Amino acid sequence: MNEDLEKSFVKQLRENQNIIHKICRLYTSGDDAHKDLFQEITIQLWKAFPKFRGDSKFSTWAYRVALNTAITLYRKSTKSIATIDYEKHQFFISQEEYNFEEEERIKLMYQAVYQLNDIEKALVFMYLEDKDYTEIAETLGISEVNARVKMNRIKGKLKKILNP
Amino acid sequence: MEELDLLKKYWKKSEDTFEQVSEVEIYKMLHKKSSSIVKWILIISILEVLLWTLISVCFNTDDYFKKIHGEDLIVYFEVFNYFNYAVILTFIYLFYKNYIKISTTVSIKQLMKDILTTRRTVNYYVWYNLTMITLSVFIGYAIAFFYNPAMIALKEKMAHEKSNYTLLIIFGFLALTTIILVGLFWLFYRLLYGILLKKLHTNYKELKKIDL
Repeated sequence: MNEDLEKSFVKQLRENQNIIHKICRLYTSGDDAHKDLFQEITIQLWKAFPKFRGDSKFSTWAYRVALNTAITLYRKSTKSIATIDYEKHQFFISQEEYNFEEEERIKLMYQAVYQLNDIEKALVFMYLEDKDYTEIAETLGISEVNARVKMNRIKGKLKKILNP
Repeated sequence: MEELDLLKKYWKKSEDTFEQVSEVEIYKMLHKKSSSIVKWILIISILEVLLWTLISVCFNTDDYFKKIHGEDLIVYFEVFNYFNYAVILTFIYLFYKNYIKISTTVSIKQLMKDILTTRRTVNYYVWYNLTMITLSVFIGYAIAFFYNPAMIALKEKMAHEKSNYTLLIIFGFLALTTIILVGLFWLFYRLLYGILLKKLHTNYKELKKIDL
């Protein structure tokens, strides 16, 4: 019974791992930090898995737990990400549509996102994931209006970082 | 926000760039916590043996035996020592075996069993060490009492005394130092291994929650 549970967890996690990778990319820079966070999220998901009743999709449940883990972990560690690995995001764009100008802009964008705080990153993540404000509000435990206001502030903040 | 939307455009595509984690790797991650605790148990036990060895090298017991004219005791002492090392090395081997087992298990049931075995091994190890320490303390007293020249004067004094006053004081003193010494070691082991065992137990409880 429990082994089936573990099997089903591992299988679903492998299928949905990109969602965790994406969170790791926003919260960490460098391969090692990425792997560490991935592992920590995996452990937290596994701990929470018995409570997952399947009333939502695995991916939806997983990203919420993963975001929470990233936020709490980020708060615990006092060392902020001082150096940003510029080259890391080079392979964001596949070869056929390689566009130097756009690539530069995306790199700068990532650098700007790195400077946001943990909650702001969570909002950016959900925005990039195309979540609606109802879901964003629910995930972060704030009101929908508050979520909209926060998102607008983040956009302003990013603009300021990009065009000082 | 133009820039954030540009990022969004590439966000989905970025999925192709992630190095995919296999199921086996995920299994390993799930058991990593327990295996790292057991790894620490192994490392600490080895360090502990090194520490004791270093201490025994620094304090040459042979000199002490010669000083109190107990050369005939050296052989017994060495046998005792070798026996002790053999037992401790066996324990270290068992810790190593536990570590390998826990880090390669892929099923929860087996992992839970392995955790219980590890806990039992550590407990036996601690009890063995404490027993050995108590035993050595008593042997140490006995040797001092029968061989140490400084004790002869004391023995004579006791023989002339009518009451058992000196004897009582000596026993009280010995009992107190024994309790303090063994207590200190007990505390040392509780701190050293107790914390690790507690963590291991928490892991076990978590696994049990899943195992319904």
